[in-house]
Amino acid sequence: MTAPAIQAEGIRFSYGNIEAVRGIDFEVAPGEVLGFLGPNGAGKSTTIKMLTGQLTPDAGTARILGVDARGDVPEVQARIGVCFEEKNLYLNMSAKENLDFFASLFGIKDPDTEGALRRVGLHDRMRDRVSTYSKGMRQRLMVARSFINSPAVLFLDEPTDGLDPVSSAAIRRTIREEARRGAAVLLTTHDMFEADELSDRVAFINDGEIVAMDTAENLKLKYGKRAVKVRLREGAGVREVVLELDGGGSSARLAELASSPDLLTIHTEEATLEDIFIQLTGRGLEG
Amino acid sequence: MSAPVSRAAVVAALLRKELKAYSRDKLYVFLTLLTLIAVVVMFRFLPDSVDETLTLAVSPPLATVIEDARGALSAMGVTPEQLAELDEADLATEEGLELVEFEDPSQMSAVIEGRLEAWRGADGELMLRDLDSGDPKPDGADRVDVSVGIAFPERFVADLTASRKVSVKIYSDAGVPGEIRDAVRGIVREVGYGLAGRGLPVTVPDEETVILGEDRSGDQMTLRQKFRPMIIFMVLLMETFSLVSLVSIEVLQRTVTAVLVTPARISDFLAAKAIFGTLMAFGQGLLVALLVGGFNADNWSLMLTVLLLGAMMFTGAALMIGAAGKDFLGQLFYAMGFTVPMIVPTFAVLFPGTAAPWVKAIPTYPIIELMVRTMDYGATWGDSWSLLSYAAAWLAVLFAGGLLVLRRKVATL
Repeated sequence: MTAPAIQAEGIRFSYGNIEAVRGIDFEVAPGEVLGFLGPNGAGKSTTIKMLTGQLTPDAGTARILGVDARGDVPEVQARIGVCFEEKNLYLNMSAKENLDFFASLFGIKDPDTEGALRRVGLHDRMRDRVSTYSKGMRQRLMVARSFINSPAVLFLDEPTDGLDPVSSAAIRRTIREEARRGAAVLLTTHDMFEADELSDRVAFINDGEIVAMDTAENLKLKYGKRAVKVRLREGAGVREVVLELDGGGSSARLAELASSPDLLTIHTEEATLEDIFIQLTGRGLEG
Repeated sequence: MSAPVSRAAVVAALLRKELKAYSRDKLYVFLTLLTLIAVVVMFRFLPDSVDETLTLAVSPPLATVIEDARGALSAMGVTPEQLAELDEADLATEEGLELVEFEDPSQMSAVIEGRLEAWRGADGELMLRDLDSGDPKPDGADRVDVSVGIAFPERFVADLTASRKVSVKIYSDAGVPGEIRDAVRGIVREVGYGLAGRGLPVTVPDEETVILGEDRSGDQMTLRQKFRPMIIFMVLLMETFSLVSLVSIEVLQRTVTAVLVTPARISDFLAAKAIFGTLMAFGQGLLVALLVGGFNADNWSLMLTVLLLGAMMFTGAALMIGAAGKDFLGQLFYAMGFTVPMIVPTFAVLFPGTAAPWVKAIPTYPIIELMVRTMDYGATWGDSWSLLSYAAAWLAVLFAGGLLVLRRKVATL
């Protein structure tokens, strides 16, 4: 079995009296994308801060590539890439200068900054100052910065939050490429579709605790219902029939409806991740 | 795992970034250039000489006073030869004294008050110009500034010699220092005693004045010399604002957190800020010191040390201020709160001997005092150890405080 790239065991952290993370356990294997799904304030960013050495856990163990990540560990930080939720870029420098600077902090002699910027679609404007960039361009640059050192572990904190579809697609494509390269990716998001599309596994985090963690498919199977929705023409209007597949006689009924001359469409009624999250926590992901 | 990058390489990378960020900010560059140009231009406009001559107005002219007194003096037994000597005495050529003689005391008081202007032509003739008249300034004449004058009454000498009560009016501009007014009063009394034939009822002892330190009589310090340390000091102080911005922008935009998830440690970040800030402040202070002639063959090593201490002190303060505020306004508030008290000791430089004990407790006091002593009074290393130690102690406090505050701030981002 491959050794986990990220390993959290019972990590906890409190801001004063507020317990932000309440003892969570998870692992991420090399090449795997783990989607951390939860609403704002659930503890996603605090978890990333503990794993990247920005915060020291009050309790528990955080290991990156087998090394205790507690505090300031340069040998760990040399192998990780972090994309922050805040766009903390040097605005008076160009995209290329930003990447060159961060590459120099990793001791990279001839960084392929142009290649990195090409991957996120910023190659044409790489010499423009970041202050002239749109929100989406800045976010793409943040992602490019996070993999400038070809990290073994990538932490991406809401990388597509509030972006246009083009920027989001570019970032998602890059995340897939990094995972294929072998990077372990911890992706926090409250976008269920993004988590579903990108993640090999999904962890639901709420009030500082992981309430469920598995592949999206398994979660849907476990917590969702198997049903189809059939739409039929009825006079001038449309009639919808929902058929639960696990019930007795559902196959015959479905066959009957499917052969009806009034049949318009048949859709599977698979539960979304948000449905499951609501089912498990009683609250939505946008909360 | 790959070999970790060396600390020196990380600090060098951070320093290159600092230089880039500094040079890219038009406001920093503009303020830096403006400060440098402004202080040097201001320095060049300051007077480079000291007028040690006392300009004293009298009315009526002394010749008239002597002429009126001729009869009374003869009656007192003054010989014709002594009277002739008095005629030949030319007080106007007395070193350090310029005599301006007015026929009419009201004209003299009007000039002192500023309602009339006095001009002296090439032939020595005094011309008066009414400011309200719109008359042009006299050609080829030099303006005579008169701020204090003596109006002798008619029959001054005759009344004195007859032991009658005499009243002499001294006109003085409000801005004339009390010492000058006292000196003029002394002149009047001495003249009175002399003319009345009554010496002071004491034996005047022989006196010997011992000047402690450099005797600057005849070589008074010019305003330019007085301002020179202040100008260098102000350049160092102004640099604090730029350094505060460089620190605060990293804190407020959270770029420091991006740096600290790389192999760069917080100590690397702080070292780069401290080195860059010190070099910027020191470089500018050095440049201005060279431009205003702050160095000479004897003081250069001590001056460089003082400049370095000052640059480090302000950098330490900038680290603290840059980390303190929650936004730009907050940082501006803290920066002003720091710099205003730090300026106070420079005024003690302009008015020597006025530094109160609380002024000496201000961290910048030893820096400015060392600059003055080194540049203007030729202080040597041997003279400066106590002040250097005092400055170094304050430097350690401010620098340690700055590093501590910034470290705590960064840790809480």
